[in-house]
Amino acid sequence: MKENDFNRRDFLKVLGWGGTAVALSGCGNTSIQDGQEIVTSYVTLPSYVIPSIANYFNSTCAQCDAGCNIMGRVREGRVLKAEGNPNSPINRGKMCGLGQSGVQAHYNPDRIRQPLLKGQAVTWEAALGAINDKLNGVKGEQVAFLTGGMSGHVQALFGNYMDALGSKNHFSYEAISPAVLRVANKKAYGMAMPRYRIDKARVVVSFGADFLGAWVSPVNFAQQYAQFRKGTRPEGRGVLVQVEPKMTLTGANADSWIGIRPGTEGMLALGVINALGSAGIKLPADIAAAVKDYTPERVGVNTGVPFERINKLATLLKERSPSLVLAGDAAEGYVNGSQNALAIAMLNHVLGNVGKTVEAAASVPFPQIAPTVGSRSSLNKLNDGLAAGKYKVVFSYGANPVFSAPAAMKFKDNFVKADFKVAFAQYLDETAQAADLVLPLDSAMEDWGTVVPEYMAAPEGSDADTYAQMSFRQPLMQKLYPDTRGVGDILLALLKQRKADEYKDFEDFYSYLHNAVLKNKVALGGKTTDDDDIFWDETLSKGIVPLKGVAGSVSAKMSAADLKLSPATGTDTNYPLRLIPAVSASMRDGRNANEPWLQESPDPLTTVVWDSWVEIHPKTAAKLGIAEGDIVEVASKSGSIKSQAYLFPGIHPDAVSVPVGYGHEGMGRYAKGVGANVFSILDPVFEQETGELALNETNVKISKTGQRVIIVKEEGPLGGSQDGRPKIAVQVQADKVDLSKEV
Amino acid sequence: MQHILRLFILLVGLFAGVGSYAADAAPKLTTPDDLGPQIEQPIEFPHFRHAGDAKDGGMQINCMYCHTYARRSMVAGIPPVQKCIGCHQSIESVRDKPRIKKLFEYWEAKKPIPWKKVHDLPDFVRFNHERHIQRFYFQQDRPYQEVCGYCHGDVKKMTVARRQKPLTMGWCASCHMKDHPISAHSTKTGHGPNDCFTCHK
Repeated sequence: MKENDFNRRDFLKVLGWGGTAVALSGCGNTSIQDGQEIVTSYVTLPSYVIPSIANYFNSTCAQCDAGCNIMGRVREGRVLKAEGNPNSPINRGKMCGLGQSGVQAHYNPDRIRQPLLKGQAVTWEAALGAINDKLNGVKGEQVAFLTGGMSGHVQALFGNYMDALGSKNHFSYEAISPAVLRVANKKAYGMAMPRYRIDKARVVVSFGADFLGAWVSPVNFAQQYAQFRKGTRPEGRGVLVQVEPKMTLTGANADSWIGIRPGTEGMLALGVINALGSAGIKLPADIAAAVKDYTPERVGVNTGVPFERINKLATLLKERSPSLVLAGDAAEGYVNGSQNALAIAMLNHVLGNVGKTVEAAASVPFPQIAPTVGSRSSLNKLNDGLAAGKYKVVFSYGANPVFSAPAAMKFKDNFVKADFKVAFAQYLDETAQAADLVLPLDSAMEDWGTVVPEYMAAPEGSDADTYAQMSFRQPLMQKLYPDTRGVGDILLALLKQRKADEYKDFEDFYSYLHNAVLKNKVALGGKTTDDDDIFWDETLSKGIVPLKGVAGSVSAKMSAADLKLSPATGTDTNYPLRLIPAVSASMRDGRNANEPWLQESPDPLTTVVWDSWVEIHPKTAAKLGIAEGDIVEVASKSGSIKSQAYLFPGIHPDAVSVPVGYGHEGMGRYAKGVGANVFSILDPVFEQETGELALNETNVKISKTGQRVIIVKEEGPLGGSQDGRPKIAVQVQADKVDLSKEV
Repeated sequence: MQHILRLFILLVGLFAGVGSYAADAAPKLTTPDDLGPQIEQPIEFPHFRHAGDAKDGGMQINCMYCHTYARRSMVAGIPPVQKCIGCHQSIESVRDKPRIKKLFEYWEAKKPIPWKKVHDLPDFVRFNHERHIQRFYFQQDRPYQEVCGYCHGDVKKMTVARRQKPLTMGWCASCHMKDHPISAHSTKTGHGPNDCFTCHK
């Protein structure tokens, strides 16, 4: 034995003796601590507050953009947990894991607590003064404001500030968003975000829309899905078919999973329309002409989906009406992404689903508070402007482009060219680190605001087509740190620098919001005779304000003229594999990566925790000599990352997948250095119509680095004998499974 | 040899460390008569004045007038300052007493009073006031001073409260093992729960 070895047995001995020591020296004492602690009573207390019994306050979740209505469980002045608001048509009393982690955003130890000017803590007066100084003598067009998705009264105030600055340079950016789908939907249905009725459909064919995991409004869709799967439903139990190159949570729940060749989703949709035509569905002449060449046989060759399956899918859709066809991330992220989405939407038209399972959604009657949705094309515009030196002062709120822009865009280099960069931030993330001035934000559980969701779910009922809603966000507890401020408060203070007279009546954002809501009492469901205070209290306590929305309509016809499906881009012999950046239900675009619950909750499919991974099909891995846990280098033309290999049959053999959101260089202790940032190696290839970054158009090669780790995951060894339980009898070993042939 | 020496040093260190921690953190032992230590409070609150019998100059206020949460919650609750002021703003006769002046100072500054906790069980014990009050006060219809007094002693004779009972597990269990009538109108009896998880959860 080596001199310094202190082995396990010795350690246990010491532990044993140590325990005795504790027992001997501790025994005989009562641990009752009279007079040691202070029990602070309240000064005043509303009668509904009883110490040790929780109260629930309605608010709105801020973890993603779905805008679920939540209730915060508050006890002794501290928010402990969030629950879904049962009266919400969006989440109907339920919540997801991402939403549950909201309390960790609030209590996060890495929150910024003071304004930071060039890294030095300063007072708010100094911080706001610095902004005022820098804005003096700068023209409106030299100011740019980058935000994430926005809505409600903060947005109204924000619009006023941009007007006061005389700037039109508002760039709304979301790293992961259905931006291509919005444009395609507008063409196909006449509205960007219709209501999808999964609960009414008898069969759902989803082209890469992970609606149970991370797509648009997952909690709403998961509820609909539960209805859809009920055998007691008049329509009977629904059938789900998922078409995607990389299996998502929704794919794992599907009755049939079709592992399609990346980028050929639109072609498959046309093949199915062709097969439907052959099966006797009457196609409009232009559509029939458009799909004439897409015979199942030809489509089968191009997509890698056997033509019998295409025919089977067509039969399924024909027999089970109404159906619903969805286009999601996996179909959009290509150069021909919007054509893919259009071709898929055409299926809904052919099948007569439009108006049945694709319903018109209403929009809020006040355009100032209607949601502004983000896209990546606006980031391109900002980036070009920054590169050209057009902007002197740049603000950033609710976006982290330094992290989520591909390295090839050189966003950081361009961002630092601006004279003065201001980041509104809760954490010192990558963008805040690159900024000159960082303004610490309140958490969503400390702040006031209103939220209008982009995906407008409606309650059952006859007036569903005019249903729109605004949700309240209210502080669930007092601020944890005295020197953080709400985004509305900051905007108001900045507005007062420009238009002191106009805003002098508003002491803070609360008074602005209070005033704005009471001024529109009637439109918000009150009567002119209602007492202001009672109306305000009731509105807040409900948390949801139903509005008489502007009814939309979905267009029943779609012309095939817009459809010019270009062939999917080929592969590169040097980079033979297609990289699919995966959006996981908990990590999303990485904005919440510093919440340890999200890092700790296993990915639903791979069960990996606290790290990123490279999903490889076992056959491809065998060809490359890669085993599970090998650290592999994933290299594209634009860069490379290293991560652990995870062999997974639920992926097309020509594709590899790495989850996004990991690999932060800042943000905080739970996010920094965990995993690798796959955004950084994406090639700057853009969707041809919308200019969105084509997320799935990066080709990569994979090489072993020679290192290997044991993957931290929950599943047992192959075929599984875990905890000494008997081996489960397996019919097919996991590495031999071809999921595309199952079912 | 060196190996054993190292182990030995580690052990001695552990004993010393744990011992000194225990000595530091240990509260003063319960006195032989089961009394807790005298505790100095920010305001010397006269319980006997408020809850004491009329013949002793007390006002016979029900304990739960101020500790109002005892029957509805795990904790009895220290009344909010508002509650004290609610009465005292109209009791002119004692307004100039130093204790009342101090009370109003807290009220005017809107500051809570930092009371010291007298009956402080360890964090791994969950004692529920509501269950005990419901059982003995409402179901068995015993006088409130007796019911509260099981654990808190004869508070109506104290100024600031002082712990009267050991509040140890053995002491709790000694009562839980006894049979108590189910209600005032029943001859049936039952004892308190003796499951570990009732208090340690």
